[in-house]
Amino acid sequence: MPTRRSFLAQSGAALTGALLLPALPGCAPTNPLAHIKGQLLGPDAATGHLLRDPGKLPAPTSTIETDVLIIGGGVAGLSARRWLHQHGQPNTLLVELAPEAGGNASAGRNAASAYPWGAHYLPVPDVRNTELLAFLQAAGTLTGYAPDGQPTYNDYHLCHDPEERLNIEGHWQEGLVPSLGLSAEAQAQVAHFFELIETLKAAVGRDGRDAFRIPLDQSSTDETYRQLDTISFAAYLDREGFTAPALRWYLNYACRDDYGATAAQVSAWAGLHYFASRKGRAHNASGSDVLTWPEGNHFLIENLRRQASAPIHTQTLAYDLRETATGIEALIYSVATRQSTRVRARQVLLATPQHIATRLLAAVPGHHLPPPGALHHAPWLVANLTVAGLPQGPGRPLSWDNVRYGSASLGYINATQQSVEQDDSGPKVITLYWPLTDEAPGPARRRAYQTSYAEWLPRVLAELETYHPGVTPYVQQADLCVWGHGMVAPTPGLLWGAARAAAMQPVRGRVFFAHTDFSGISIFEEGFYQGIRAARELLAAGGETR
Amino acid sequence: MANLLEAPAVESAAPAAETLDTGRAPTGSEARLPGLLLLAVAVIATCGLIYELIAGTLASYLLGDSVTQFSTIIGAYLFAMGIGSWLSKFLEGSLLRWFIRLEILVGIVGGCMAPLLFVSFEYVASFRVLLYTLVGLTGILVGLEIPLLMRILEHRYPFKDLVARVFTVDYIGALLASLIFPLVLVPQLGLIRTSLVFGALNLAVAAVVLARFPETRPYRRRFGVGIGAALLGLAVLFGFANKLLAYTETLAFQDQVIYSKSTPYQRIVLTRNPRELRLFLNGNLQFSSADEYRYHEALVHPLLQALPQARRVLVMGGGDGLAVRELLKYPRLTSIKLVDLDAGMTELFQHNELLLGLNKGALNNPKVQVINADAYQWIRQDTTRYDAIIVDFPDPGNYSIGKLYSAAFYTALARRLAPGGRLVVQSTSPFLARQSFWCVAHTLAAVGLHTIPYHLYVPSFGEWGFVLAGPDTHWRGDLSPLPAGLRYITPATIHDMLRFPPDMSEVPTEVNQLNNQVLVRYFEEDWGPYVH
Repeated sequence: MPTRRSFLAQSGAALTGALLLPALPGCAPTNPLAHIKGQLLGPDAATGHLLRDPGKLPAPTSTIETDVLIIGGGVAGLSARRWLHQHGQPNTLLVELAPEAGGNASAGRNAASAYPWGAHYLPVPDVRNTELLAFLQAAGTLTGYAPDGQPTYNDYHLCHDPEERLNIEGHWQEGLVPSLGLSAEAQAQVAHFFELIETLKAAVGRDGRDAFRIPLDQSSTDETYRQLDTISFAAYLDREGFTAPALRWYLNYACRDDYGATAAQVSAWAGLHYFASRKGRAHNASGSDVLTWPEGNHFLIENLRRQASAPIHTQTLAYDLRETATGIEALIYSVATRQSTRVRARQVLLATPQHIATRLLAAVPGHHLPPPGALHHAPWLVANLTVAGLPQGPGRPLSWDNVRYGSASLGYINATQQSVEQDDSGPKVITLYWPLTDEAPGPARRRAYQTSYAEWLPRVLAELETYHPGVTPYVQQADLCVWGHGMVAPTPGLLWGAARAAAMQPVRGRVFFAHTDFSGISIFEEGFYQGIRAARELLAAGGETR
Repeated sequence: MANLLEAPAVESAAPAAETLDTGRAPTGSEARLPGLLLLAVAVIATCGLIYELIAGTLASYLLGDSVTQFSTIIGAYLFAMGIGSWLSKFLEGSLLRWFIRLEILVGIVGGCMAPLLFVSFEYVASFRVLLYTLVGLTGILVGLEIPLLMRILEHRYPFKDLVARVFTVDYIGALLASLIFPLVLVPQLGLIRTSLVFGALNLAVAAVVLARFPETRPYRRRFGVGIGAALLGLAVLFGFANKLLAYTETLAFQDQVIYSKSTPYQRIVLTRNPRELRLFLNGNLQFSSADEYRYHEALVHPLLQALPQARRVLVMGGGDGLAVRELLKYPRLTSIKLVDLDAGMTELFQHNELLLGLNKGALNNPKVQVINADAYQWIRQDTTRYDAIIVDFPDPGNYSIGKLYSAAFYTALARRLAPGGRLVVQSTSPFLARQSFWCVAHTLAAVGLHTIPYHLYVPSFGEWGFVLAGPDTHWRGDLSPLPAGLRYITPATIHDMLRFPPDMSEVPTEVNQLNNQVLVRYFEEDWGPYVH
């Protein structure tokens, strides 16, 4: 005979169970994620790794000739191709390993929306960056100049309001800088930090250049600022008394967002540059506004591509570069036809990460590239989730950028933000960004490559559940992408050390380098600038040898 | 969730146990059974009061006037309980069996009360009859419970103990119910789920009694199946509670609802009283037939008066056809295009006789082309030029609608204006939402249009404003004759409408852009004091 209490407890539990059962439809002992379709994508690491053993590739069966061979179809490669086209060198061939050009700024599309697989916005640029403004004008993003001389941007490309919200303990506040529940001391530190940033934005070095500028190579050489590159951002913040946890969370978030590394891993110069270089101005927007598109920066990629006509060979691996009497001979392998081709070029522009360039130049001496592994490249996970709805907590409504205080990932952006349709009840695509910064890049990368879709999916859903409890049944599709080398991190000494300047030196007027690895900061403006810089060097050298 | 459901059972266990330990009841397992019944008293007392509160709350929601509703519901319920108590004397035979039967019935009737009332609200001719029938029925059943239980327990306790115990537990249950209903149940579960959960609790009481009393053996299986089936039914309804609610959205309308429909985009509700018809979209008043002519004459005639040559007109929003009705007073117009997102809305105003009487069949006129499309998407791909454009969207209460008041949208609209053409925008209230009104005017000015703001008094809305915008400000209500038979607009009225007294006069605002959506923020600020 059960005791009364235990009987009551049992019947209570049984009743609870009976009542709960229908509240959780489909809560059979099956996998709660079984309804989610999707796959694991990623740069073609397998083909890329053929570079490690080029002897296995077939011998070339044909030969093509070109003046310039560009290897790599990311922002820098496409920017160089465009520049060459616009400056009298259209005889160019670009080869890209992926099925589509784009690099970190590639994109996907499904029935709900286009969505980014990587870079997804461009801050309103500095008006002195005239090359970038000219590009944006040709792309239809910059629509003209107002009578006050300020550029006017396309309203549909400026990020629509509401732009950013931060989830603190379940409540959504406006903006990403924590403001809910901050102590007076923490508030004072936040205010002080942003006052400092305003000062640094206006700061000019003894050489008359801005202390912080995009492209960063145009920043001042003044030691007052450059010595900030020798210490970590975290050490600098400690020294300056910026210790409030909320502020430090935000600054660490910013570093992970822009550099894929923590405040302790990047230099103070880089940590400050993130904020102090944003000097954009516009007639119809402010410097803190950004330009964005459903497909992210793939919009910019497409426009870079369209602004030149030279051929692009995709799914093509360049694997063996040799110097000849007249230039450079490269072997390229087509993944589609499984055939190799010899390319005779007068000049080669390597728009690849540095570790790829080093392998490609194994037989070409005279470069000053650092040894592989010298740069810090964190792996990233990017998840595109098609959701039928997002259970909404209290506070601000769904915004473009949605972040949770203390979250392991960087939060998600809403790809349908730029839609002007009234009926927004349909499925949305949200893009979750997650730099894997918990361990060193090498081990993190190996672990990421070995993690299967079935292992990633519950982690991604668990992360999203911390943003929107109960969201799992609403997720229809989850496509994931692992970027092994997500982006370069500006570790102390990288930006203003001698190695970076040396690495971008061309080799005998024949080999040129363009990639954000050569900036040390992976943002669109730097890739765009690196492409133009290298193309200019190439054109100048080509003029000499002709 | 789990805690919530266990709460009544666990909390009421304590007093019941004490009662038992101090009583002079028989020892052994038999001794526990009366205690169990006392526990049942607590549960059913809680359930009983919860049903009463649900009925009162629901009646206030749906019928308005909460004092009257609560007062009459409580009265009717208590009276019905009295009838139940009186009827209890006619129950003979196995009282325990009656009790279990009763619990099952209370569980079903009480459990289904909220979902049934919600769903039937729109479809039943006389909702009050159903409401009071259900309240009466529940009251009678609940009224039967306690007398019946006292009779079951009458030989187990001395009379004074019996009365003391039963009523102590009864009132404790009532206190519990009155506290958890507003504090926990309504905010956490909502009315429908609360009703279902407490129905299930009544069924659980029936199940426990059925299982624990040996004398129920002969009919245990049959009743058990019935309880199981009823529990399952409630559970299914519980699962669909959200859908039910979405279907029957709680709207507190003062007047009789004569039509309601949820389209993919909004909920359309039409109410009537002896004086007027009112149309609500998502609970917001769109017009009252008593004074809508003021609004629609003011929306249309100044614009057309300023455009004596106008032939082609575009109307954005305004799926009720009332603006088109005014436009059709100008025989010179050759084409009127109306773009409204919601086919449910335009079809209603093309086919419903009552509404056809109101808009004079405007949407069925051969000059009128009705297009159901997203206004923003549509205007960006349209290539026609219009002499006049009328913009009559809902107020900018959210970020989606806010985009239809943005500089980018007005730029797209201005591109569709023929040379010399003008447009007019409904711009909320310059008195209640002063910043919002002037923000609309400034946004139109920012895209290069010359604006002429004006306003009027619409009794059911209050002070309301419009902004006329075009290539110049040369018009002051004197360009062409007005159609005959207008009830509000005259040249003199137009003159008055152009004057803004100091309490509505221009205030500085930012321009509403897609990347700042200041209008939605102004609108929230402006209306905040009226909503809270």
